[in-house]
Amino acid sequence: MAGLRLDTREGAMTKRKNGTPIVPGKLDESLAIARIFAEKPAMRMPPVSSHRSLTPEQKDILRRWIEQGAPWKEQWAFIAPTRPALPAVKNPGWVKNPIDNFILAKLDAAGLAPSPAADRRALIRRVSLDLTGLPPAPAEVEKFVKDRASDAYEKLVDRLLTSPHYGEHRARYWLDAARYADTQGIHVDNYREMWPYRDWVINAFNRNTPFDRFTVEQIAGDLLPNATIEQKIASGFHRCNSTTNEGGSIPDEVAAMYAKDRADTTGAVWMGLTVGCATCHDHKFDPISQKDFYAITAFYRNTTQNPMDGNIPDTPPAIVVPRPEDEKRWLELGEQRTALRQTLDRALLAPSPAFEKWMEPPEHAAVKLPARLGTPVMDLRPEAIALADDVTLGDGPNGAAKALHFSKKAFVSLPNVPEIDADKPFTIATSVYLPKEKGNFVVASQFEPEPKEKPKDDIDRRRGWIIEVGGQGPSIKLASGNDKYLSARPGPDYELKPDAWYNLVFTYDGSRDRSGLAIYVNGQMIPTYGTGEDIYPLQGSARTDVPLKLGNDKKNFFENGAIADFRILAREAAAQEAELLSMWSSVLSGDRKALQTYYLYERDSASRETVAQLRKIDLERRAIARRGATTLVMHEKADTMPVAHILRRGQYDQPGAEVQPNVPSVLPPMSAALPRNRLGLAKWLVDPANPLTARVTVNRFWQEIFGTGIVKTTEDFGSQGEPAVNPELLDWLAVEFRDRGWDTKHMFKLMVTSAAYRQSALTTPDKIQKDPDNRLISRGPRFRMDAEMVRDYALAASGLLRPGIGGPSVKPYQPDRIWETVAMEQSNTRVYQRDAGDKEYRRSLYTFWKRAAPPASMDIFNAPSRETCTVRRERTDTPLQALVTMNDTQFVEAARYLAQGALLSGRGNVDREVDFMASRLLGRTFGDKERDIVRRSYRDYLAFYDAHPSDAAKLLTVGQSKADPKLPKSQFAAMTMVANEVMNLDEVLNK
Amino acid sequence: MHSSDELLLSETRRQFFGRGATGLGIVALAKLMGGDARAATTAAPASVGGLPGLPHFAPKAKRGIYLHMVGAPPQMELLDYKPVMKEWFDKDLPASVRMGQRLTTMTSGQTRFPIAPSAFSFAQYGKSGAWISELLPYTAKMADDIVIVRSMHTEAINHEPAITFIQTGNMISGKPCIGAWLAYGLGSMNQDLPTFVVLNATHSHPKANVQAISAKLWSAGFLSAQYAGVSLRSGGDPVLYINNPDGVDTKVRRRMLDGLNELNQIQYEKIGDPETRVRISQYEMAFRMQASVPELTDLSKEPASTFDLYGEDARKGGTFANSCLMARRLVERGVRFVQVYHRGWDVHFSLPEVLPSQCRDVDRGCYALVQDLKSRGLLDDTLVTWGGEFGRTVYSQGKLSPTDYGRDHHPRCFSLWMAGAGVKAGTVYGETDEFSYNIVKDPVHVRDFQATMLHLFGIDHERFSFKYQGLDQKLTGVEKAFVVKPILA
Repeated sequence: MAGLRLDTREGAMTKRKNGTPIVPGKLDESLAIARIFAEKPAMRMPPVSSHRSLTPEQKDILRRWIEQGAPWKEQWAFIAPTRPALPAVKNPGWVKNPIDNFILAKLDAAGLAPSPAADRRALIRRVSLDLTGLPPAPAEVEKFVKDRASDAYEKLVDRLLTSPHYGEHRARYWLDAARYADTQGIHVDNYREMWPYRDWVINAFNRNTPFDRFTVEQIAGDLLPNATIEQKIASGFHRCNSTTNEGGSIPDEVAAMYAKDRADTTGAVWMGLTVGCATCHDHKFDPISQKDFYAITAFYRNTTQNPMDGNIPDTPPAIVVPRPEDEKRWLELGEQRTALRQTLDRALLAPSPAFEKWMEPPEHAAVKLPARLGTPVMDLRPEAIALADDVTLGDGPNGAAKALHFSKKAFVSLPNVPEIDADKPFTIATSVYLPKEKGNFVVASQFEPEPKEKPKDDIDRRRGWIIEVGGQGPSIKLASGNDKYLSARPGPDYELKPDAWYNLVFTYDGSRDRSGLAIYVNGQMIPTYGTGEDIYPLQGSARTDVPLKLGNDKKNFFENGAIADFRILAREAAAQEAELLSMWSSVLSGDRKALQTYYLYERDSASRETVAQLRKIDLERRAIARRGATTLVMHEKADTMPVAHILRRGQYDQPGAEVQPNVPSVLPPMSAALPRNRLGLAKWLVDPANPLTARVTVNRFWQEIFGTGIVKTTEDFGSQGEPAVNPELLDWLAVEFRDRGWDTKHMFKLMVTSAAYRQSALTTPDKIQKDPDNRLISRGPRFRMDAEMVRDYALAASGLLRPGIGGPSVKPYQPDRIWETVAMEQSNTRVYQRDAGDKEYRRSLYTFWKRAAPPASMDIFNAPSRETCTVRRERTDTPLQALVTMNDTQFVEAARYLAQGALLSGRGNVDREVDFMASRLLGRTFGDKERDIVRRSYRDYLAFYDAHPSDAAKLLTVGQSKADPKLPKSQFAAMTMVANEVMNLDEVLNK
Repeated sequence: MHSSDELLLSETRRQFFGRGATGLGIVALAKLMGGDARAATTAAPASVGGLPGLPHFAPKAKRGIYLHMVGAPPQMELLDYKPVMKEWFDKDLPASVRMGQRLTTMTSGQTRFPIAPSAFSFAQYGKSGAWISELLPYTAKMADDIVIVRSMHTEAINHEPAITFIQTGNMISGKPCIGAWLAYGLGSMNQDLPTFVVLNATHSHPKANVQAISAKLWSAGFLSAQYAGVSLRSGGDPVLYINNPDGVDTKVRRRMLDGLNELNQIQYEKIGDPETRVRISQYEMAFRMQASVPELTDLSKEPASTFDLYGEDARKGGTFANSCLMARRLVERGVRFVQVYHRGWDVHFSLPEVLPSQCRDVDRGCYALVQDLKSRGLLDDTLVTWGGEFGRTVYSQGKLSPTDYGRDHHPRCFSLWMAGAGVKAGTVYGETDEFSYNIVKDPVHVRDFQATMLHLFGIDHERFSFKYQGLDQKLTGVEKAFVVKPILA
């Protein structure tokens, strides 16, 4: 049966060697029927070896279908939706908008009646949670309850849709799809600076960016004409994937993995297709072929990104993201800098009589290092020092100055230079000869030796600085003990050829920030990146008393290398000064070109002014960059076209036929006018003729609000996915979304103002039987909130929440050793350093997300690891979740804080106190039975804490915030336990 | 305050526990009343959950303990004796052996591939006469309890994908691991503890090259998260958030749950959502765990003979010996699968210095675990597995001297051992060439190993699948896998 396809009409109804699989209306002639009903097991399909069989009912359906003429319809999701007519319903009075026609028609058919409308308190709580992810404040509840205007609910919805928390809440779902996280994901799992992308998503939802633009900017913002910083940030969507820098990795394999991830993600998020199923080979039932799959990956195979992430936070391509108020100035400075640099370059080429005159002796003989840099605090004269064994005096780079040549594990020890420290600017300039042999060599250092015994806490307390060079370029590290250091090294693509001399200059501004380090190679600043613990500012001192060592005797010694022109200055050289330092031996030796540069930068008054301006600009740019952030972006290779190879069995080292970028053949083709790159793909995705994007997107919106999508398999609208439970409704919503300008807020408003949404969550045995999972929406949506909402709810209801929008990710409470247990020693996300103060109480979408160990309490509540795209979270109820909300410091502190508010507001009246809690946690007051239960609980807790005052005191110290010392401790502790009890209610944990 | 008895026996509680067939909280109640909680737990050994129709056939193994040496131990120093290599010191690996196989980029740039013979000696042990390294004296003592497989092979050449592959059947993360599959298929054998528990043991050599592990290795992938491994931690809360906050003791927690249950019951009566009942039961299970985990981790009642066997190290939380002891206590209490990780085996350099320490970390614990299980009659239906994610190269990475060398990753062969339920103890299976480079007899692919494990648990790997993304996903993936019958008793 090889080659047989039963998923296409053509395949099923075309005559083959043994017969025709399906002949409409003719059972006897249909080979499929003969095989399915075959007596002999060996002949029967499906074969025994598949461990699958058809039930008699299934066989009967097939038989009847062929008898009835085998009507064939293409997979519904691949045909563009049209707006269906509104179905008639038995009770039109119930209908508030077209959604309700579709819902009610299904309920009518199922013999179910809608539930009564939810009461106002339940409704405002539900809609606040759905639109902002936060519970309503008690005052908002009361206002809504009292508002008797006919449009009271609509006004409420409009207000919530303009809340900045709306964007946060919507972004939270999107970030799962974007697999956003704060670490690289694989192996070392270092910090990655990506939060500007997260903030872009929040802002895009708050601004109600039309979904087509939202799509194009994220898939291809960088390819838009004159792309803005914002659009480039948006393109970070496909830089959120997990990356690696594991030693030994094979770049081709890793690149294939990234392209697959990007194709899979694009498929799941926009197309609702699990395209990656075809990675290894075609599946007969799957409309996406292997060729289709690799054609999608081709869009992502023309990137300038190096597969190895370098373990750095800003793996290129990355951009500086200035603060909004700096953005204009940042762009201006960039332009000015280019213009000034061009002025200098022109001056260098122009004939200059003044220079010629200056060249006449003795003027130029008196060259001096730029005065601004001061006298060098160390100026190596190789001839003047005592040479160690295996160190010889030899030629320097240009024959003028002598150089130290090293063989074996040799070094030269020189007096300590005290001027280098974490808070002091400095410049180290040198020429080095890079040996023929591969390796990474220590050039110079003032670094404390390893202690004889490894410290028990694993903390590297060595201080000092170290300069290394190798085939991957030069690097510098400045350490202040406590495992903390700043470092700068070139990006993963950088290369220095061996067997050559290089002028290296390292500068530092004394800022304790890694952006204060710069490296120049042969006078040109190279882009550098930091690794290690340098995501934090350097604390303490890097001063040591150890001698200055040139070469090295331990690991990475400088065998067969050489050093000349070694200088240390106690100032930070600016770019042009570094350029002069780089060529200083040439200047001294009378090299004409070097002297001309010197003359321009130091003596020519006009050029000196330009140099001074450039220096000012560079300082200002650095300040802006330091205030701002970096973020990863997409960037295409300019000189090649995207292309991919079919990888046999998905193996990177078994490339087959070349494929051009294209969209799956089962879907409408890309218009000829569209470029065959990511931009073309993005525009195709949001083309009105695309049958999937609008459906898949509104289905996800539906899932956010109603708990389950109209198509349950949010990620799979293909033949293996679940069919839509209400296909007409899905199509109506899709067409509405597309034709109303991809207006996201409009869709959410439609959903939450429908009568279907506004039903009470009341469940009856009849409904449980006929609509067990509420797919028909026979009652209001009610399900356990997602991880972030559970935590945010506790923070908001207790009053602890700090509601600011955006910014770097934060590290709230987390149990000890969540990171340490799994991380590699060299990972800069090995030690979890909890933030202090307000950062403890930010919304959970700002919590630092380490992929190898996601936030522990959220992980337990089904938050994904963010290693790959997730468009549908699981929702389980487990005992481990109960432990979180009962015992996690965050929740206990919130209970205590809520209790404090209750006590302060109730002033000794227990009823008032517990009502205060109910209003914040439930949006209502307790019923009599409930109040009685809570009062009894309080009484028992109080009796316990009266008898155990030290336990009361202990409970009140949980969490970093201080308990109000004026409140009586046993009442306070007892009320804290009441809060803990109520916060764990099913009603609280459910939306 | 009420006396605790009064609290416990309050009217509402009796009402609550009287309802429903599951007898929620009976065990916890028994414990708090001073009854024999253990008796209550062990009285119900039958599995809860699990798939209908599983196991497919009578299982040999009911529980498993998988000791994973993260970083990949060098087979030629431990279990794959290659005496001829002595003569090959610093000679180049013949190209005919390498056959152009791909290398990691850590050594693919090396101009030479000089052979590094093992710096450690071997001897034969047990009735089987298995050759075992001097570095594993305890393992050697139990040569007749284990089957050594010397012909394991994989496709992955880097740790992250290789560990993910051997644990989940796929190099890319996102698939369930063996423990999760077993929890899903076979269900739980206890009501107080998770079905699948993970332990991370510490290593002691400061120069050991440590590889990352992450929660994805014990995740449930596309299976429901309830089947994911639960970390049993050596510091802080043994199970995350298991401990009540300061100032809240068991009685207060019980009282809180009573109030909570009553309130939830009102909610249930009002709304009628069955999920509310599920939540109530999960809170009760949480409470039972709060009672049983401290009992589990409390080693004070272990007799002196336990520490004579495991060594004094076993008293120290987080050591490998301690993890082994904990693994025994876990399976004893009906935990289905215990995964133990020990890191630091990635011996790219300083192998002769680091490896003895790594072996000292684990050797005695392994032996003690197997003997302990045996003496308790648990070994008959507990499968113990020891091994890494791939092998190491016979040639040295970096500089080579008789006493200092390193080895790069080598996917084409590696060794592991298994003991207990249904394995043919006292045998050695598979053979590699004299360079321990290529397999010459009885290769066992990672998939075969996984199929064999499932087989021992009474599961046909071909018929054990989960529909996800339109595919019948299996632990062993889409390619053929074979149960290694010759290593089965």
